[in-house]
Amino acid sequence: MNVYFIKDQDFNSFVAKMMESKKVVGPVTKKSKFVFAALEAPEQLRLDYDVTILPPKKEFFPTCQSLMKFQGNHCEGCINPEEKIILGVHFYDVKAIDMTDLLFREKNEDWNYLANREAATIIASNIQNVSSRAFFASVGKEVTPKGHDAFLTKLKSGYLFETLTAKGENLVKFGKFESASDGQKQEARSVNDVPLKKCAEALKHSSKEIAGKVRKSFANESFWNEAAKDCFSCGSCNIVCPTCYCFDVQDDWNLDQASGMRTRYWDGCLTEDFACISLGAGAVENFREHRGERFRHRIMRKAAYLNEKLGGPACVGCGRCSSACTPNIADPVNVINKLMEA
Amino acid sequence: MGKAKVAFFDFTSCEGCQIELTNYGDAAFLELLNHIEIVEFREAMSERAPSFDIAFIEGSFTREADRERLEDIRKRAAVVIAYGACAATGGVNALKNHQPDYKEAVYGKDAGQPHLDSSKALPISAAIKVDYKVYGCPMDKYELLRIVSHLLHGKTPVIPNYPVCVECKRREVVCRYDDNDHCMGQVARAGCGAICTADGIPCEACRGFVDHPNEEALVKVLKERAGFTDSRAQSKSRMFTANLRSDAK
Repeated sequence: MNVYFIKDQDFNSFVAKMMESKKVVGPVTKKSKFVFAALEAPEQLRLDYDVTILPPKKEFFPTCQSLMKFQGNHCEGCINPEEKIILGVHFYDVKAIDMTDLLFREKNEDWNYLANREAATIIASNIQNVSSRAFFASVGKEVTPKGHDAFLTKLKSGYLFETLTAKGENLVKFGKFESASDGQKQEARSVNDVPLKKCAEALKHSSKEIAGKVRKSFANESFWNEAAKDCFSCGSCNIVCPTCYCFDVQDDWNLDQASGMRTRYWDGCLTEDFACISLGAGAVENFREHRGERFRHRIMRKAAYLNEKLGGPACVGCGRCSSACTPNIADPVNVINKLMEA
Repeated sequence: MGKAKVAFFDFTSCEGCQIELTNYGDAAFLELLNHIEIVEFREAMSERAPSFDIAFIEGSFTREADRERLEDIRKRAAVVIAYGACAATGGVNALKNHQPDYKEAVYGKDAGQPHLDSSKALPISAAIKVDYKVYGCPMDKYELLRIVSHLLHGKTPVIPNYPVCVECKRREVVCRYDDNDHCMGQVARAGCGAICTADGIPCEACRGFVDHPNEEALVKVLKERAGFTDSRAQSKSRMFTANLRSDAK
């Protein structure tokens, strides 16, 4: 669509005007970390964040989401999307959102997710600071970020604002924008190249080579058991992952014992009971009983199983799993590079 | 659906979980009484009931003399629920299991008094069959309600076997380790909603361990990430999980 420029001094007023029109969610500080949260003032916005604890996926797929209210035999869905603008999404999270869009749309369309997703306007932004565990420059290079409505790049004296959809173009009315010059467009290209050179970690092989080798390693039990020796099965790597989309569904009654709620919660395949299934008559089978099997399963899902469907690996290199893992064993770069050399 | 007959019993404990029952507030408690009938509760009434649908037992099993009373409760109850850490796992009481000199340490010159004699502190399940456990110190009153609701509807209550990290991350809490602290959320059974870590306090695993905690990794992480000495790292998890550790006495 169009490419605009807005001066630094006019930026907060642009954010404030958007906030008057609808809820604006963006990166803000939480102690020493960052989280996506509804902005209360434009000054809270921290576009210089490195990475957030949870990915912006939570805006469409809340960690605990009401699915259905029931009263006796009558039930009612809880889909009630709120229009919002998500501001400051890094390109790796844009890629991840595009993947969850596909996964929640294929076969049975999941409107509990899709309704929230369609009500959102996503403004991506350039990465001003690179998290120490990020490896987005070397993973899934064949996957193009798409699905966002606009892209914001911090330049020396303001911001370049590229609109990509009608939703994105519709935001231009909130700010004092002018057409971007060729020089500003050139500056934005250079700015967006910088973080790609700043990742401290890198995969050494192509997605295709990795997928092949990872699949072939399935039977290499000693590798996976050794890799998972210190694994707590705590599921932190799953819960912080922008492309994980598994959930558990539970029903709860209200005190009246006649009405209640069906809720879904983010779940993780690293946890012990994830693969527990009922065999009937109270019997249970866990088809990934050992921690090595669960550890292997995550790497298989991220590096191999979904590649054909998604056009690349289900990993975007955000490094959240690496940071969240207290024994420091979840880092896909360490696991995959070691496996490629095995 | 007729009212379920419910009875409450207490053994070795601070009775804090009974206090927690009173924290529902009038409205919730009176609503609950539309669905249950309390037929025996030493703290509140003198009647005894020949049988009941659910027996709630608080406290740990610490005296052989209590076995008979527990067996009698089991005979009269269709379902037995051990509620609170002491009943579910032995709780903090089990700390003494590793310290033969606990009486001298606590009572000094009065250590020889006969009424202080007791055996190891064990969960109720060491004496009788327990159908469900409500973990936590104190137990979570809402979890107890959830379990009662499920039983009233003939459903099996789901009690988490994943660690506190799952609930902590869902709340987007800054990890204690990223705040230069320690934590045992990686091995602690969830269900509390990560209330302590969300308040900036390390998880002490008051709900006990998940079914298969990685104890070796916990010691390693407490040493490497939190700077604990080996002995402190080795004993750290004992406060609430003495009976669940691989070195349980």
